[in-house]
Amino acid sequence: MAEICCEAAAAAAGSDQKGECAGSRAARRRRMEIRRLRVVAEEASAKRRRLEADEEDAVGGRAPRYGVTSVCGRRRDMEDAVTARPEFINGHHFFGVFDGHGCSHVATSCGERMHQIVAEEATAAAGSSVSDETARWRGVMEKSYARMDAEAVVSRETAGPAPTCRCEMQLPKCDHVGSTAVVAVVGPRHLVVANCGDSRAVLSSGGATIPLSADHKPDRPDELERIHAAGGRVIFWDGARVFGMLAMSRAIGDSYLKPFVISDPEVLVVERKDGEDEFLILASDGLWDVVSNEVACKVVRTCLRNRAPRGGRERSSPTSNLSPRQSSASGGSSSSGDEEAGGPSGDGAGSESDGESAEDRACAEAAILLTKLALARQSADNVSVVVINLRRRPRS
Amino acid sequence: MDQQGAGGDAEVPAGLGLTAAEYEQLRSTVDAHHRYAVGEGQCSSLLAQRIHAPPEAVWAVVRRFDCPQVYKHFIRSCALRPDPEAGDALCPGRLREVSVISGLPASTSTERLDLLDDAARVFGFSITGGEHRLRNYRSVTTVSELADPAICTVVLESYVVDVPDGNTEDDTRLFADTVIRLNLQKLKSVAEANAAEAAATTNSVLLPRPAE
Repeated sequence: MAEICCEAAAAAAGSDQKGECAGSRAARRRRMEIRRLRVVAEEASAKRRRLEADEEDAVGGRAPRYGVTSVCGRRRDMEDAVTARPEFINGHHFFGVFDGHGCSHVATSCGERMHQIVAEEATAAAGSSVSDETARWRGVMEKSYARMDAEAVVSRETAGPAPTCRCEMQLPKCDHVGSTAVVAVVGPRHLVVANCGDSRAVLSSGGATIPLSADHKPDRPDELERIHAAGGRVIFWDGARVFGMLAMSRAIGDSYLKPFVISDPEVLVVERKDGEDEFLILASDGLWDVVSNEVACKVVRTCLRNRAPRGGRERSSPTSNLSPRQSSASGGSSSSGDEEAGGPSGDGAGSESDGESAEDRACAEAAILLTKLALARQSADNVSVVVINLRRRPRS
Repeated sequence: MDQQGAGGDAEVPAGLGLTAAEYEQLRSTVDAHHRYAVGEGQCSSLLAQRIHAPPEAVWAVVRRFDCPQVYKHFIRSCALRPDPEAGDALCPGRLREVSVISGLPASTSTERLDLLDDAARVFGFSITGGEHRLRNYRSVTTVSELADPAICTVVLESYVVDVPDGNTEDDTRLFADTVIRLNLQKLKSVAEANAAEAAATTNSVLLPRPAE
């Protein structure tokens, strides 16, 4: 995995070299970026290995295939967190992207705790009298975000002297640290998306690009109205910012800007459409600031199509330049069933096995390609991407 | 910032949060340290914070040009620029490089110590560079003791700064005042906590005596 991220940085550097003479300063900056990518890639690999170890056998159906990347990019620090928890509750799968600001510990806490909180609230709600699935999930998500926000206030205390947290504050409370939170729960019949902040969820269904979240920017008309009604102000100071400070109108944490910056999620519950739903992308604004929804979906669609069983040839794959070793690494980052524990098959026993193995890699390749594209387009932020294949897998 | 004071009936600046009696006690400090020649395209502001802690305890925190993160928000790190002649001494002309946390419309700030008067408890600095939109920012902070109606410390912080292109005076004042108000609130928390801790230490030292 480290090699692929290094290749991404090298590719970006390569494109830079074509455009201009590489000065020593630019070269040094690229080397620093490559070093950051390598470190983050190693951390991400370790995280994915832990996730795979946690995976359990599916009960009703197999967990969806997904791919994850999360890289520092051109920021000084890595403050994003990503979570993928297949089968976190019976028949449901959790995915989340958390883009931190101010420091990393709020996003880190979200990455570690949000899925646990949602699981608790969903389990509690399952016994309630609410018969409407949409209303039930909305309640689950609203309660979960409120709990996560309350935990964020003390997250530095909870984290203790974590090496990833660089706060130099003497007081335990870190009022000016926060995080976005875009969360998707993939269930047997519904997709639930909850969003707070300016990360984003985009669905591709029947060839159409469908946003499942709307960015919480301070100058979004309804957000501007809410902030003003609460007595707050939005000014344009390097973009629209609450009191000229924060560039989003909702976030987990950021106590110093409450009640103007709130942690209430916008929740969307949509019925799954078999035969139409293709995939779901969750990503931080490090991607969306430089890649449109349509372009992102086109990239992912191409990756998935070229890896479909009995589909296109290897040569046409947009990531066909990956070496066998790199392919193996990306395969490891996909969700895979126990029967594929040995890794992608070299000499496939049957065409079906080959097809599944190739399709498992497609989500990881799609996530990697989107990340490379964001870096190539000079994204100025951490980039975190989750690609979830929504096509049903046959029951085992 | 121009305020017309008619003899003893000085009007308290709007939004300062001080009573007329309090402001009267501070008037000489304001006149001496918190007035600016505000030019065209500039704006200025004065903020106040009451703190229930001895003025010397508050001043000990304010004067730390080398370690502003003790009471200022949004600082990721701060490093004094090495000065072979001055060594560790904090004296006018000293520079610090401040790195700002992410998510804000600034990333670095180079700041110069302009004034450090321990006798009068006056601290001044200006921003000389960095990646942010506050040009020609100059600030003064004073720590004063009030005796009427009750004993307490009042910190005054004022500044003058250019209004950036595309923004209004009101925008600029809102942004800068928000940052300063948050910092002064933290200064209050830190100084009062330090004072409480010092008092507790004093009490614990005194405790063994009755047993003797």
